Amino acid sequence: MDKRILGEIEEEVRVHPHYADLQHLLALALMAGGEMERAESHFLEALHLNPRYREALINLGFLNIETGRWKEAEEIFLAEAKKHPRDGFLQHVLGILCLKTGRVKEGSARIHRAIRYHSYYRDYYKKKGVWKRGKVHLDQKAERTFKKIRFTYPYAQLYNLIGLYLAKKGKVTRAIKELRMASGLEPDDFIFHANLGTVYYYQGSYPKAIRQFQKALKIHPSYGMGYANLSYVYGLMRHTSEALRYMKRAVQINPQYADLHYNLALLYSDRKRYQEAAAELKKALRINPNYLFARINLGVLYEDQKRWKEARREYREVLQVTPNDEHVRNRLERISSLRRR
Amino acid sequence: MLKEDFAIQSELRRMLVRTSINYSRMDFGTVKGVVYIRGFFQISSIAPDTDEDRLKDLTAKTLYSFEKKVRNIPGVSDVIFQLLNWRKERGQWVPIEVVKKEEEDEGKTESNG
Repeated sequence: MDKRILGEIEEEVRVHPHYADLQHLLALALMAGGEMERAESHFLEALHLNPRYREALINLGFLNIETGRWKEAEEIFLAEAKKHPRDGFLQHVLGILCLKTGRVKEGSARIHRAIRYHSYYRDYYKKKGVWKRGKVHLDQKAERTFKKIRFTYPYAQLYNLIGLYLAKKGKVTRAIKELRMASGLEPDDFIFHANLGTVYYYQGSYPKAIRQFQKALKIHPSYGMGYANLSYVYGLMRHTSEALRYMKRAVQINPQYADLHYNLALLYSDRKRYQEAAAELKKALRINPNYLFARINLGVLYEDQKRWKEARREYREVLQVTPNDEHVRNRLERISSLRRR
Repeated sequence: MLKEDFAIQSELRRMLVRTSINYSRMDFGTVKGVVYIRGFFQISSIAPDTDEDRLKDLTAKTLYSFEKKVRNIPGVSDVIFQLLNWRKERGQWVPIEVVKKEEEDEGKTESNG
């Protein structure tokens, strides 16, 4: 753990002690540095500030595993598994916990559930030689391996959060280094690839951003914002047909996001597909009737199609909200004079 | 110059993240090369002990630089700011509260005179 970053986070926590996210981040950083007692107190503080902070609770569970407090760890994961009984990850952690504490039969049942609830664990245990012909086979060698296993998840999450923290401060190169560590530790977690892709996009490294978004989407094909981000990157590369394809997919997955309809409308409008653009703008306005830009764009689209009456209606609505908008006023005056001619 | 609104919008999104602007209370849109920016303009990561004058100075400087960057995006023909807390007057960025106060003061002076 970079001491300079740790110092920066400590300072942020000092300034904003009531931010649960910062308390959680500091706890993870301290945990990575081996300061388990201090880490525990900050996890607890994060949970005190936000009792529904699931990540903080789970990471507190991992801290208990790291410090050999199996019972406390198990209590946390059992309570979570009760709330989310079909969460393969929780069953996997509980399975390993059972093996660490010598309860092979129970561990085997948990692993079986993890495989049933999440296909990722089928491949994981298959690779480890534990899942064979539809059954869990735990020989002594496998038991020994799992007893020694260390969970990398909280550390990957730390790298991820540090990466995001640095990116927010504009330190993109250092952010990328941290996010690469996160996705290296947990290559099957889509969010680490997605975040790395986003930071590459901010940096302007578009081919790298595309690769990371595609990795994220391979793991989690219904991650709508991944398609939207791919669309933005392709848009900047002026690959409009790809940009359009991915934005359509993003809208399909998240039809309730007005902003995505707006962006899809811009893509259609740029390609002079005015009817489709107008339909998307109307959808955006149905979701958010105060979406002023969508209304201006709609007015301009009507104007392009010489539908003066509809264009005037939209511009007038805009001017009711922002009467000082000279740009819209000029457009309205121009089409009104055209009508008079 | 091609006016590809979607590319402008994507570049604007990318640019905002890379600045010290807190864009959580801002919206932006692009209409045939004209960029619209609305909402509250604030800068992020300010030390809590920064005094008000220094903060205003910093915000104004950030606005100048941001406006310049937006105007430099290929395809952008104009930028329209519809900010709730800042406005441009005779080429100068001024906070709206200050403008109101000064107008009030001027009004008082005139009525006194």
